[in-house]
Amino acid sequence: MTTPESAMSRTLHARLHSGMVSAAAAVFWPGARCWRAALGHGAAALLAGALLAGPERAVAADTAPITIGMVTPLTGSAAESGRYAEWGAEMAVSEVNAAGGVMGRMLKLVIEDDQTTNPGVVSAFNRLANDPAIVAFLGSIRSTQVHAMDPDVRRVGKPVFFGGTDPNLTHAGDPWLFRCRPNDTYSAKVIAAFGVETLGLKKWALVTSTDAFGSSGARLLSAELQGLGASVVTAQGYANQTPDFTPVVLAVKGSGADVIGSYFTFEQDLAIFARQLRQLGVRSAWVGSPSITDTAALHLAGPALYGTYGVADFNADSSPEARHFADAYQKLHKIPVDQFAAWTYDAINLAALAIGNAKSTDPQGLRAAILAIRGYKGTEGVYDFDANGDGLHGYNVVQNKKGKIEFVKRVDFPAP
Amino acid sequence: MAIILQLLFTGLGIGAVYALVALGFVLIYRATNVVNFAQGQFAMLGGYCMVITTVDLGLPYWLGILITLVVMAGFGAIFNLGVYYPLRHRLFLPVVISTIGASILITNLVLGLYGPEPMTLPGVIDFPGVSLGAVFLDSQYLVIIAVTLILVVLQYFFFEHTLVGKKMQAVSQDKEVASLLGINVTGMIMLTFAYSAVLGGIAGVLVAPILFVSVGLGAQIALKAFAASIIGGFGDVPGAIAGGLIIGVAETLGAFYISVPYKDAFAFILLFAFLLIRPQGIFGEKVSQKA
Repeated sequence: MTTPESAMSRTLHARLHSGMVSAAAAVFWPGARCWRAALGHGAAALLAGALLAGPERAVAADTAPITIGMVTPLTGSAAESGRYAEWGAEMAVSEVNAAGGVMGRMLKLVIEDDQTTNPGVVSAFNRLANDPAIVAFLGSIRSTQVHAMDPDVRRVGKPVFFGGTDPNLTHAGDPWLFRCRPNDTYSAKVIAAFGVETLGLKKWALVTSTDAFGSSGARLLSAELQGLGASVVTAQGYANQTPDFTPVVLAVKGSGADVIGSYFTFEQDLAIFARQLRQLGVRSAWVGSPSITDTAALHLAGPALYGTYGVADFNADSSPEARHFADAYQKLHKIPVDQFAAWTYDAINLAALAIGNAKSTDPQGLRAAILAIRGYKGTEGVYDFDANGDGLHGYNVVQNKKGKIEFVKRVDFPAP
Repeated sequence: MAIILQLLFTGLGIGAVYALVALGFVLIYRATNVVNFAQGQFAMLGGYCMVITTVDLGLPYWLGILITLVVMAGFGAIFNLGVYYPLRHRLFLPVVISTIGASILITNLVLGLYGPEPMTLPGVIDFPGVSLGAVFLDSQYLVIIAVTLILVVLQYFFFEHTLVGKKMQAVSQDKEVASLLGINVTGMIMLTFAYSAVLGGIAGVLVAPILFVSVGLGAQIALKAFAASIIGGFGDVPGAIAGGLIIGVAETLGAFYISVPYKDAFAFILLFAFLLIRPQGIFGEKVSQKA
């Protein structure tokens, strides 16, 4: 069907085209007799183009995909988990688009490699932030990287969903950070309560990385244990990418601890520690942060992790939503899903929900819509965003039974 | 006492790996006056080669090792032709930058081909280790120490009692005179690169069952190995061995008795101390004179 508007548009396009050709002829063929006329036509056509561009851009914006930027490690030591994160986000985008998109527009995901480093994540985020079409971002699962990004997140002023679990990240006054995993206040609460009250163990050895994630976890877990009347008999911090954990294992062994609480950032470190722990005869119980349940950790450490407990923000048996996602992921990628894919899957769905509720991609409107989300059943749990931007408030306790992660129980706390 | 013995054993084990990679640094430096910063990537390639042959293709372990050694020797020769040989008449810095560029290229090629997932490689011996009282001797660390000792002895005989070894030594001492004596300098340098790649590959094969096989494997070892070669006296073969073992033991003891988070720092504190007090290293001549 031809409308008057589209007919006028075609005419203007034709003028624009002929004018530009004439202008080009004038530039590249200075001897042309018609150069003044050509330049005149060109100027008129460019003016007409400028007049036309306004309404056309508006029409395009209404049908153009809604773009979400994502930084994730595609290279570097966490590249394996970065790939899972990418797969989770892509699955959510596909599902949202298959269901008709958001406000009649498709979602589009743009990914930048953060190289598993802080400078890398800052650079990747800024590359994405330069694209004005991006309405929201997925940040890192590593707290240290989110800390590094934070000044730029504030400057850019658009919502950033992230997975780092350092509680400070949502308590430092950045209104644009929204967490899609429970923070370490909850992991520490659950690790301590499960170890002390359920397992009845009170002499704790803490093994934690010295980065923001591990340091924060160590501090919170110590506080929770003290509150429950348990004692920390040794606290061992280690630098990431340590090739040998013998000194740590000997310190744990010598401390007489009956349970280990851990916050490991990288699965390779966890696997090396686990193997050496068992080799040197330490048989204490072990309740770890979510990395102890990762697919990569299970693969690398093998039997050294049998019998250990972990808190896991994602577990396939914790809810029907989690089970559905786990089955679909397994079918598509032929490996079991873990939290790296689960949180990005939820983040994309939350972004779509917020955009749909806000009926806009305006940053302030989006922020209000995200904070208003209550009772959204994601794969990681039920999202009730609090004023700080924390969406989840509980953890699953799981156990490694001969290499298979089995659900023990779900522990939720009320949103503050 | 058991704790000290345990720490010493582990320190010597990890130190032996540093020593093997450091040996590669030293041999190439002696032959070419160039530091090859891709030496760590040789270790990484050795690990991947073993995974491909023994895990993916299911070949017997001994055959996997044999193929890995041959592949690494060939790779060393190609590396020489592609990275060092075209720049052999240039100054020190362009060649060093060339090796750094090659190390990045190798890492990214492996990443592209094999992906980022760390892979497991079974140990040479199919049992975890032996306990001597309260001290546990990890079988893989025992293998690492034993192989390093055997290699040191074999290398001594090769360089001191074979014609090729003596030719390689002559080239490392003075290329012009060696050339005047009819020695094929280019061939000897290529042989040195091949041998250094084999050493790196062996280090990778040995350490892979402990640290897993990933693209970061080489970088994890290379920096400490480089420090080891300076502590031992840059360009000095026994020094590289001693330097590797000293760093391995120092960082393990330091981590237990002083601070675990600063474990990596001990190697470099040691390096600074040597550069300040004894810049020529344990056995070698002054770094400033060599460079």
